[in-house]
Amino acid sequence: MLTQQAYDRLGETVYRTTLANGLQVVLVPKAGFHKTFAIMTTDYGSIDNHFVPRGQQAAVRFPDGIAHFLEHKLFEKKDHDAFDLFGKYGASSNAFTSFTQTSYLFATTSQLHANLDILLDFVQDPYFTPETVNKEKGIIGQEIQMYDDDPGWQSYFGMIGNLYPKEPLSIDIAGTVASIDQITADDLYAAYRTFYHPSNMSLVLVGQLDPAETLDWITANQAKKTFAPASPLQRIASPVTAPDQVVAQTTRYLAVTRPKVSLGIRGYDAVPAGRAGLRYNVALSLVFDLLFNDTSDNYLRLYDANVIDDSFGYDFLVQRGAHFGQLAGDTDHPELFVSELQAILADVMPQLQAAQPQFELVKREAIGRLIGAVNSVEAIANQYSGPLFAGSTLFDELTILEDLQFADLLPLAQAFFTQGRQTVATILPEGLRNR
Amino acid sequence: MHLRIKDGVTLDLLPTKQFKTVGIKVDFVTPLRATAITARALLAQVLETSTATYPTQTALARQLSAMYGANFGITVLKAGTQHIVRLTCSVVDEQYLSSYADQQPLFERGMALLKAVLFAPLLPNGHFDPTTFTQQRQNLLTAIKSLDDDKQYLANRRLQELLFAGQPTQAMSALGDITTLGELTADDILTTYHEMLAHDAVHVAVIGDVTAQRAQTALATWPLTARSVHDTLPYYHWEARPTVQVGDDVAPVTQAKLNLAYRIPVYRNDADFMATVVFNAVFGGTPLSLLFTNVREKASLAYYASSSYSPYTGTISVQTGIQTQNQQRVLAIIAEQLATLQRGDLQSDLLAEIKASLANARLTVLDSPQRLLDGRLNAQLTHVTTSLADWQAALAAVTVADIQRVARQVTLQATYCLHGGEH
Repeated sequence: MLTQQAYDRLGETVYRTTLANGLQVVLVPKAGFHKTFAIMTTDYGSIDNHFVPRGQQAAVRFPDGIAHFLEHKLFEKKDHDAFDLFGKYGASSNAFTSFTQTSYLFATTSQLHANLDILLDFVQDPYFTPETVNKEKGIIGQEIQMYDDDPGWQSYFGMIGNLYPKEPLSIDIAGTVASIDQITADDLYAAYRTFYHPSNMSLVLVGQLDPAETLDWITANQAKKTFAPASPLQRIASPVTAPDQVVAQTTRYLAVTRPKVSLGIRGYDAVPAGRAGLRYNVALSLVFDLLFNDTSDNYLRLYDANVIDDSFGYDFLVQRGAHFGQLAGDTDHPELFVSELQAILADVMPQLQAAQPQFELVKREAIGRLIGAVNSVEAIANQYSGPLFAGSTLFDELTILEDLQFADLLPLAQAFFTQGRQTVATILPEGLRNR
Repeated sequence: MHLRIKDGVTLDLLPTKQFKTVGIKVDFVTPLRATAITARALLAQVLETSTATYPTQTALARQLSAMYGANFGITVLKAGTQHIVRLTCSVVDEQYLSSYADQQPLFERGMALLKAVLFAPLLPNGHFDPTTFTQQRQNLLTAIKSLDDDKQYLANRRLQELLFAGQPTQAMSALGDITTLGELTADDILTTYHEMLAHDAVHVAVIGDVTAQRAQTALATWPLTARSVHDTLPYYHWEARPTVQVGDDVAPVTQAKLNLAYRIPVYRNDADFMATVVFNAVFGGTPLSLLFTNVREKASLAYYASSSYSPYTGTISVQTGIQTQNQQRVLAIIAEQLATLQRGDLQSDLLAEIKASLANARLTVLDSPQRLLDGRLNAQLTHVTTSLADWQAALAAVTVADIQRVARQVTLQATYCLHGGEH
C-alpha cells in the first residue's frame, strides 16, 4: 500500500500513498527524534475567492479573506474547541493560510494516535453558525490591524499589489475589516464543501512515527466517514493583468524610521508543470543568489556605497498561477537603491555570465542549507509541495539542485527577465511627506 | 560531557547522530556594565564583518559558501546581570554530501573560521580598519533605530525603560544606546576587544557527530589564556515600587500595544522556580492560558495576549494588541485573571493540560541542535543542571497551592500603552 523512496546518503525514507477517498498521505520517520509534526493541507487559499460551489451550477464571488476566516472557524465546534482537545494531550496546534493553501498542524511528543484523530476529525467536521462567525470578526479584525502596523508586510503587499493589480493576489490574505464583515456561515459551508474534499487535500507527518502503524490509524479514521465522490474544482480565474498594466511604481508614507524599498519582478514566462516546475524554481532561486547574495560583486559594491545594508534581502516565489521575484531593503538612498538594482536587471544576462565563477559556491551554499533543513521536522513537512510540483519533497529539491549546472540557468533566466515586468513600491517616513 | 579547559574556559560536548549538522557556540560572558554594553554590541558587529584573511564581507561570505553554507553569526544578549557576546557556526556534516574533496572536515574548518574571527580580525596597523568601523557603527545605529519600526518591540522596550527607570543596565537593550554608539571610536572597540578576550568567561559548546578528542584538539589551538572569573550569579534583585508606573505614547499605529510588567521575586535556582514556570504558563504563557482564553477567545478584544517570565530578572511581562478604547476593559480582565489565581481558583484539568504542554515543549527542545546549545549557557550561568527525569518530576509535583503561593507574590509594577491617540 505504501510506496517508499529511500534517500540513502541522507539516511531518510519517504513513504507515500493515496487513500481511496483521494487524500494524499506522506510519512517521513525520523530516527532519534522525540517530536512528530503533522500538517493537513487543502489546495485552497486567499486567491480562490471566485468559484462554482460544489453541487451548484453558477460561479459565486466570495468576500475577500474567506479562506483565512474559514481556517480560524474550523477549530470551533458546537460544544468544544479543537485547540483544547490537542491541549489535553499537551500537543501544540496551529493553522495558517497562504495565497493558495490552508494548513492545519500539530506537534506532539506523545499520544500521536489520539492527536492525529483530533486533527482529521476537526478538519473534516465543520461547524459554523451566525453567532460563532460574528464573534470571530473582532479577533480577525485585530489580526488585520496588527499587520496594518507592520511596515515590512505593507511593503511586501505594496509590491504585490503593483504587480497584480485587481487580481486576487493583491488582496491581503486576511481580507479587510470591511470584507470579513460580509462573511456568513453559509459562505463558509460553501467554501468548505468545495475545497475540503479529501481529493483536494494532503496529510504529511514527519518525526517519531512508524509508517505502517500511522497509515493504519489514518485509514481507520477515514473508513468511519463518508465523502461525496470527488468532482472537478471549477475556479474562475481572474483576468490576467496585461504586462503594460503592471503598475511601475508607488510611494506610501508610513511611521517608519528609514525608507523601505521593494522591487518586484513579475514573471510572464510559463512555469513548467509538475517536477519541472520545481527545477525551474530551484534554478531561478540560484539566479537570484548569483546576482544578489552576499558573495556577489554587486552586493559588496552597493554595500560599500551605503545603498544597501544588512537589511537587504531577496526572494523568488512560485505559487499556483503566479511567480515573482522580490528585492527589498531599508535604505537612506531609495532613488539610488532603485536605479542601481534596475541597472543590474537591465543588464541581467551579462551580469549573470560574469557571476559564473561563483556558481559552485552558490550551489554549495544552497545544498548545505537544504541538508541543514533536514534537521527540522517542520521544514521537511512544510516543503512538501502538494499539487504545485507534483508532490515533491525537500529531498527531491536536493536531488534537483545537485544536478543543476550553470548552463541550465541561462535559458530560464533569459525567459523570466526578458518577459518579466518590474515594479517599485517605496515606503517613506511620514516626516518626508512635506519635503 | 563538560570539560574545564583552563581557568574560566569550558567546553561542553553534546555528541549525537540525530542531526545532519555540527553546531558550535562560543559565549563570552561578563557582568553587565551600562558603559560597556554598546561597545560590545558594536564590537560584535565589526568582528562579524571580516577577518585579516577575509578582509571584506564578500570574502568572508564566499568562504562560508565554500564551506557548504556554513551558518555563522555573532549576536549579543543579556541574561539578568550578565552580558554575552555569542558566536555561532553551524556546518553540514560532510558524510551527507555527495562529494567532499577537502582534506579537513567541516567541523574543523568551522572551528578554524571562529578562531580567525576571534583572534585574527582585520587590524591593519594594529587598529580596526577605519572604513569597516565607521560603516558598521552606522549600520548598527540604523539597525537600532529601525527596531522601533516594530511597534510590538517598541512597546516592550518602553515598558522595560519605565519598569527599570534609574537602573540603566536593565533598562537598556542588549544592543546599547545610540548616544553612546555615536561617540564610540575604533580605539574604544579595540580596548573592549582585548578586555573581552582576556577577561570574559568563555563557554564553548559543540553538538553533532564529533568526538571529544576532535573538539578538544581544535579548541587547543585557540590562544585563550586562563582567566579569573568572578563567579557571580546572573540574578538581578530589585525592590518593588510603592506605586504602579504608568506610561503611554502616541504613535501612528492602528492597533494599540498595551504591555504590563509584574515583579515576581522567584529566580532560576529558587524552590518555587518550577511553580513560577507553571504559573506563567497558566496565566498567559500558552494558548491554553487564562489571558488567551479570556482576553482573546471569550471577549474578542485582542489577536494576541500573552505573558512571559524571566527567571534572571524576576519579572513577568504581558503583551496585548487591542483597540485603544478597550484599554480599561482589557486591564480589568488581566487583573481578574491574576486575582483568580491568587484565590487559588484553578481547574485541575486546565493545570494538567498546561503541564502536559510544558512537558511536550521540554522534549521538543531535544530535537533542536540550536536550542540544546543555548541551554548550555543557562547551566553555566546558574550552576543548575536538571536532568530530564528530575525536571519532569518537579513539573508533576506542582500543585494548585504552589501556583497560588507564587501568584500572591506577583505584583503589578508598570503598564505602558503605545496607541494612536484617538482618546
